[in-house]
Amino acid sequence: MASNNIVIGIAGSGGDGVISAGEILVNAASSDGLFVFMLKSFGAQIRGGESSVRVRMSSEPVATQGDKLDILVVFSWKDYLKFQSEMLLEDHVVILSDSEDSFPEENIPISANKLKNWYKVPFNQLATDAAGTSLAKNIAMLGVISELFNLPKSALEKSVKKKFSGKREDIINKNLSALKAGQNYVKKEIEKKDSVLFEYTPGDPRIVMEGNEATAFGALYAGVEFYAGYPITPSTEIMHWLSVYLPRYNGVVIQMEDELASINAVVGASFAGRKAMTATSGPGISLMSEGIGLASMAELPIVVVNVQRGGPSTGIPTKTEQADLMQAIWGSHGDSPRVVIAPSDVEDCFDCTVLAFYIAEKYQLPVIVLSDAFIGQRKESINPNRFRDLKYGFKKINRRITPTEKELEDYHRFKITKNGISPVTWPGMEKGMYQAAGIEHNEKGFPSSDVSVHARMTKKRWEKFREIKREFSFERLYGPDDAELGVIAWGSTKGAVKEAVARANANGIKVQAIIPQILYPFLIQPFHDFLRHKKRVIFVEMAYAGAFRRYLRGFIRFGDFGVETVSYRQTGGAPFTVGQIYDKIVEEYEKKDA
Amino acid sequence: MDEVKYSLKDYKSDLKPIWCPGCGDYGVLNALMQALVKLQIPPHQMAIVSGIGCSSRLPGYLNTYGFNGIHGRAIPLATGVKLSNPDIKVIAVGGDGDGFSIGAGHIPHAARKNIDMTYIVMNNNIYGLTKGQASPTTPVGEQTKTTFYGNMDEPINPIRMMIAYKASFVARIFSGDPKNAIEVITQAIQHRGFSFVEALSPCPTFRGVEQFKLIREKVRYLPEDYQPTDEVRAFDIANDNDFIRLGVIYRQDRPIYTDIVRKMQQVSEKIGKPEILDLLKLFEP
Ligand SMILES: Cc1ncc(C[n+]2csc(CCOP(=O)(O)OP(=O)(O)O)c2C)c(N)n1
Ligand code: SF4
Ligand SMILES: [Mg+2]
Repeated sequence: MASNNIVIGIAGSGGDGVISAGEILVNAASSDGLFVFMLKSFGAQIRGGESSVRVRMSSEPVATQGDKLDILVVFSWKDYLKFQSEMLLEDHVVILSDSEDSFPEENIPISANKLKNWYKVPFNQLATDAAGTSLAKNIAMLGVISELFNLPKSALEKSVKKKFSGKREDIINKNLSALKAGQNYVKKEIEKKDSVLFEYTPGDPRIVMEGNEATAFGALYAGVEFYAGYPITPSTEIMHWLSVYLPRYNGVVIQMEDELASINAVVGASFAGRKAMTATSGPGISLMSEGIGLASMAELPIVVVNVQRGGPSTGIPTKTEQADLMQAIWGSHGDSPRVVIAPSDVEDCFDCTVLAFYIAEKYQLPVIVLSDAFIGQRKESINPNRFRDLKYGFKKINRRITPTEKELEDYHRFKITKNGISPVTWPGMEKGMYQAAGIEHNEKGFPSSDVSVHARMTKKRWEKFREIKREFSFERLYGPDDAELGVIAWGSTKGAVKEAVARANANGIKVQAIIPQILYPFLIQPFHDFLRHKKRVIFVEMAYAGAFRRYLRGFIRFGDFGVETVSYRQTGGAPFTVGQIYDKIVEEYEKKDA
Repeated sequence: MDEVKYSLKDYKSDLKPIWCPGCGDYGVLNALMQALVKLQIPPHQMAIVSGIGCSSRLPGYLNTYGFNGIHGRAIPLATGVKLSNPDIKVIAVGGDGDGFSIGAGHIPHAARKNIDMTYIVMNNNIYGLTKGQASPTTPVGEQTKTTFYGNMDEPINPIRMMIAYKASFVARIFSGDPKNAIEVITQAIQHRGFSFVEALSPCPTFRGVEQFKLIREKVRYLPEDYQPTDEVRAFDIANDNDFIRLGVIYRQDRPIYTDIVRKMQQVSEKIGKPEILDLLKLFEP
């Protein structure tokens, strides 16, 4: 069964080099122009615990990690058990396990029909013989699977070289020998009994990025000058990346004592005229809530990234979830406008961060980027040219508007304007002195507890929303307009929804999906257009309480459209599979004639 | 000093303080403005930031850049301003509750990083704005609105705490002694690094007129031969129960954070500063 779409899973322990093997494979496929998707998963142990990686490659665009594995590599069955629920197997799966693994064969929890194509390979031995060290067994393994399944071989050689570049010449050579040894082993020792074969046409090289890297890179591209943060999984890679690159461009990255300090330092930096941001996860946002409200009140642009996970600071930190929606939108005190946008894949992390800076600076308010572990920590291959050819009309806005000489003669920092945006100064600007304030203030910035001033100034701050809603629209729609069945989802569930909708339509099940990018303010028109032909919509979200559906029902009277709503949700941890959503689509589709 | 360009009226804003008559904060505000006149810092080159409390209202009474932020966060706010623009003179102000209770977690970090800023805490041993609850510096046994049967908690000794945190400048003033206050605040602002000033600033409204008298009786200047660089002696002064010493109690010269950051930027710039989009190379497989 030759296919141009293949899903490979590898399970083992820290020392097995599972993750590096995945990375080398991703790099090889990307340099051959393939579309690649890689997901890592770890146990709770800090170092050396069980880990797994899943790589999907195809010459067609891929939006998910793929539901089931075509190929499973097991260095140790004991480790595989920890990931069994995340690594479902196709019936035709080919299994390669380490022949030295002592796990009792009768305990292997895989049904017999899936064990038909099982090769036991002496990975350890191959590596020791070829490279003099069992450390190279992951490379020997790559040799085996590349030969057995026709994976990009010369690109693989290049990627191995690159992986060990900077190391001693003999180390590179040893690993190349391990790779060769794996390939030769297949030629000599394996009689191929399975039918899995990868078939592809090479294309122009693609680059490989993780969502959190794309976020950090997007921030740098947007001109971030100040980052203050406090480490928290799964967001920390953003700070790691910026701490290397931002200082080179004269920027500051500072590790603060906690999230309370981080957000206030960011607000202080913005007050000082800088483009400022922080990144954290839900528990950190909880601590930042008051500071976000302060930025809203003081009308200072800040960008806050939340790479979501589940629970409080103990929580379930290495797994993904979409349960911070309401926290992002409403999570503060008083009436505190902020914009919330949600990236839906790795590229979108870049786009949303650039957009976040644009909106924050132009409208002088906090913007929250609601990412999650699923997109933040996965790798995707991306066409590098897309960054050079950005369609953004909004690149022009670089920084908040400042007052003219004339306006400075009688400067009103919080001057009421039609769109709520007033020119802003910062320390160092002559004649521009003003009091930024969390305290309610008049147009001059002087404190006031006058009820009418509070009413006027609150309205001014919200007035910006009107303009934002005028300025933006979004087009993330999949499937035919006239479908009667709809799917509404947001953020990282996009990939699975997109593929499920495509599969359904290919099978004659008419369905359309809509995925908003700006979640707040709520852009209602695209939904009204979307609902025109719908009779039933499914809300897909990775959150038990179904906040997204409740949120949308606050804006849209689905009943008025004659639309019934159905909620399809699960708690975080493992992302949705395409099959799950497809099955739900079929289930709801069949109800239409009932 | 050469030409006097800025006078008191240049530093004073149009706002009239909301403080009660006899509040110690007036004295601190005046001393600060006098110090600014002495130092001739252009008002637009200054940022005065605060949290919340009666004392935290102070920035609004000055015609400089100001930021009345949120409870307890003046220090990180000030840190953000300073690191963003090292040329700006940054002063954080606030109360004993704002600084030593809700905001206490931030102080050691600004001190150890030696952020070049001045932090003035107007200590009145009470929560003034919220109308008279115990603060972290309220003496044991005192009755307040939240300690009907007498305060149970051992008070914080701000000077001792700051020396322990290695704040690079630690001083005390009394709002009833303007001359000394002006002199000490001037030095604090001139100090390169994190300078802390405890301002004894009575609250007649919630601590009675007695508080002012009690402080007046107990304050003394530092001994003639006093050397603020001697940490051990500084602790002795901080621990003195008989007298409350005014003046610069401890100081130490250490590199300031903004200089350290600048150096780090220079090192990293040497590694290379390509066009941002050329960084895409990093992601090549
Ligand atoms: C998060 C938060 N908690 C509580 C308050 C209420 N509050 C305002 S000021 C204050 C204490 C002020 O005391 P202090 O800092 O000593 O200032 P003073 O009024 O004595 O000058 C409190 C508890 C608040 N504004 N914000
Ligand atoms: S309550 Fe006390 S601290 Fe507040 S203004 Fe009045 S006297 Fe000053
Ligand atoms: Mg107080």
